[in-house]
Amino acid sequence: MSVRVTVQSMFELVAKEQKRQLLPLTDDMLLLNSGLDSLSLALIVARLEDSVGFDPFATIERFPVTFGDFVKLYENHPQ
Amino acid sequence: MSMHTPEAISGSPPATTMESFYFSAGDHDLFAWLHEPAGRQANLGVVVCKPFGFESLCGHLSLRKFAEAAAALGVPALRVDYLGTGDSPEIEPQADQIDIWTRDVVAAVAELRRRTGVERVCLVGVRLGALLAARAARELEGVAGLFVVAPVLNGKRYLTELRTTRLAALMGVPDVVADPRFGGDIEAANPGLMEFTGYPLSAASIATLTPLKITPADTPAGAQWSIVDRADLPLAKDFGASLAAAGVPTGYTALPGFVEMCLVSPQYSVVPLPMVQVLREFLQGLLGAAPLPAGGAERVPKSAIRGEGGAVVSLPGDSADSRLTERPVCFGTEAQLFGIVTEPAQGEANRRAVIFPNTGTDFHMGASRMYVTLARMWARRGYVVLRMDFAGIGDSNTRPGRPDNDLFPPAALDDLRAGLKFIRDRYGVQEVTLCGLCSGGYHSLRAAAAGLDVQRILMVNPQNFFWKEGSPPDEGWKVSEAVRNPGIYRQKVGSLRAWKRLLTGEVSLWRIARVYTLRALLSLELFLRDAARSLHIRLPQDLGWELEDITRRGIHVAFVFSAGELGISLLKLQAGSSLRRLGDRFRMHVIEGADHTFSRSAARSLMAKTLTQELTAGPAVSSTGDTANRSVGDSLRPKEFQLFTGMVHAESTSKNALQRTSSSEY
Repeated sequence: MSVRVTVQSMFELVAKEQKRQLLPLTDDMLLLNSGLDSLSLALIVARLEDSVGFDPFATIERFPVTFGDFVKLYENHPQ
Repeated sequence: MSMHTPEAISGSPPATTMESFYFSAGDHDLFAWLHEPAGRQANLGVVVCKPFGFESLCGHLSLRKFAEAAAALGVPALRVDYLGTGDSPEIEPQADQIDIWTRDVVAAVAELRRRTGVERVCLVGVRLGALLAARAARELEGVAGLFVVAPVLNGKRYLTELRTTRLAALMGVPDVVADPRFGGDIEAANPGLMEFTGYPLSAASIATLTPLKITPADTPAGAQWSIVDRADLPLAKDFGASLAAAGVPTGYTALPGFVEMCLVSPQYSVVPLPMVQVLREFLQGLLGAAPLPAGGAERVPKSAIRGEGGAVVSLPGDSADSRLTERPVCFGTEAQLFGIVTEPAQGEANRRAVIFPNTGTDFHMGASRMYVTLARMWARRGYVVLRMDFAGIGDSNTRPGRPDNDLFPPAALDDLRAGLKFIRDRYGVQEVTLCGLCSGGYHSLRAAAAGLDVQRILMVNPQNFFWKEGSPPDEGWKVSEAVRNPGIYRQKVGSLRAWKRLLTGEVSLWRIARVYTLRALLSLELFLRDAARSLHIRLPQDLGWELEDITRRGIHVAFVFSAGELGISLLKLQAGSSLRRLGDRFRMHVIEGADHTFSRSAARSLMAKTLTQELTAGPAVSSTGDTANRSVGDSLRPKEFQLFTGMVHAESTSKNALQRTSSSEY
């Protein structure tokens, strides 16, 4: 499964759990308007760490703005 | 303050009782609940160590259920609020919370033993509470077991999770210049401190927490472990295996339900019954070695404890020699309702009170502990303040036949009526303000509309003004889409990319059609309602009429919104032209840089300032000893502003009733 698909699935799973209406996951979708709150996004990151084996957020200073930026953080992270 | 659990109300013998009190933990006092069996008591007790921050708010009811389950087995259980959390007194912002909270757990164990006479103890810890329990266990004797749920095993990893939450929360939020007189920006004032969804960890706490890990060596001699891991994120499995390898009796199970217990909006939180069952079985296993004694353990008489002044706590007042008093109270007849009253310094002449109803299903401390902060701030200005739980929420009992965590309980008005009666009878107040965030604002409005004897209603970010039982809590968002999205669609009409997404099916045509249809219906409704009002025809569920009635009765009405809140659109849509007729008794503020629950201290300080202004604005019913206005002063004159750009009938709103609060104005 590609990183993108893994990330996308996690967004959808967490949105369902949190009873939140998730907007279509396009690269230019602003995370701020995605329908998820900060706790949901942190939950996604924690679970992705368990799933892909790393946490790219451990060293960054700003949260990615769009869904595309979020995916790139994982795609571009050294394995 | 002693209460019976619901079985007592329904007529059957009470399974357990719960009593709230303050106790001394060395150099400070702490608030706690003790759950006790109605019958025989074992020589084993439980101390519940709660998680940190939002998880504690969301998991409050579940922790109560853990304690009740223990007490029902004959095992008394004590839930404690660490210093600076829940209903306990404040903590210095630079203090090392981790060290102090660890000592608080040790003190709670001592208090449990003092009150119940038990010798053996089981520590029940959830998330950070598990780490605190393990640290405290090193300093304790007689620890029979450690029951941990989704334990924080590694402080560094936990902090990384918290930082991610914080980064996400700061996304797109403009900077706000806080007001230090109303709490200020605690991050700016305390270098190294970080605020996580409204809950601070000091620099010293972060330094202490970073290297912390739970290891098998933390196990006290003779103690057993029961680990309930998250099924969605089983991070404690290796730890369980290492305990077993070290020869420590250990149970491990991974269960679903943690997210629903601690990491959802509190109105969606669900008590994890399978986890409660695992706790029961663990305690029964511990009891197996020491079954219930025939006559119960020897116990300290309760009257002696009450004689030590455990029912109230004294807090700093507005000067070195004045003190506030805070006390737990129980009132209501149909259901036992719980609240905390913050009383002004003795000799205060004011006869004014504020009541905070619940925000959603957040218990009486409120999101980001804002009700505690506001209650103490306003008590220092002479107000008696009651933070109350509706039946089925927080620490109040649930009405027979009703669910727990009832977001819009149908008997909420009865509960508010009981709160009003209590506060008027007990304190002789002449003027009462209802103040609430989100659904707390809704209930305040409903109370005023129903004719309850209140003089002010302060509503912060209400998201609906009418409610039909059974409706989904987020129904208002459909209206929000109808108000906001057409503007977004218009902006994108010239975008090639947007058209491509539309034509490739990435964007739903059906959704756009639905939004425009609802928008048209809302505009039609607004037009018809305004037409009916001009003909003096009263339609059902007419917010405009209600607000006109309320203000005509002399009740001061104030709305405080975070910029971009759904309620702004709803208020405009549902009150329509009535807003122009409300006059000086209606005020509305919009605060920039704030989210729905004001989770950043800087934004909270602006909210506190605005609410304080509204609390003290206008003619007072009682003019005796008004100390509040002194502190607020005349500097609070936010600019008039043009609001509702892009919303329906923007021009119809009275400008002088609307105020925008932002950093530039102060």
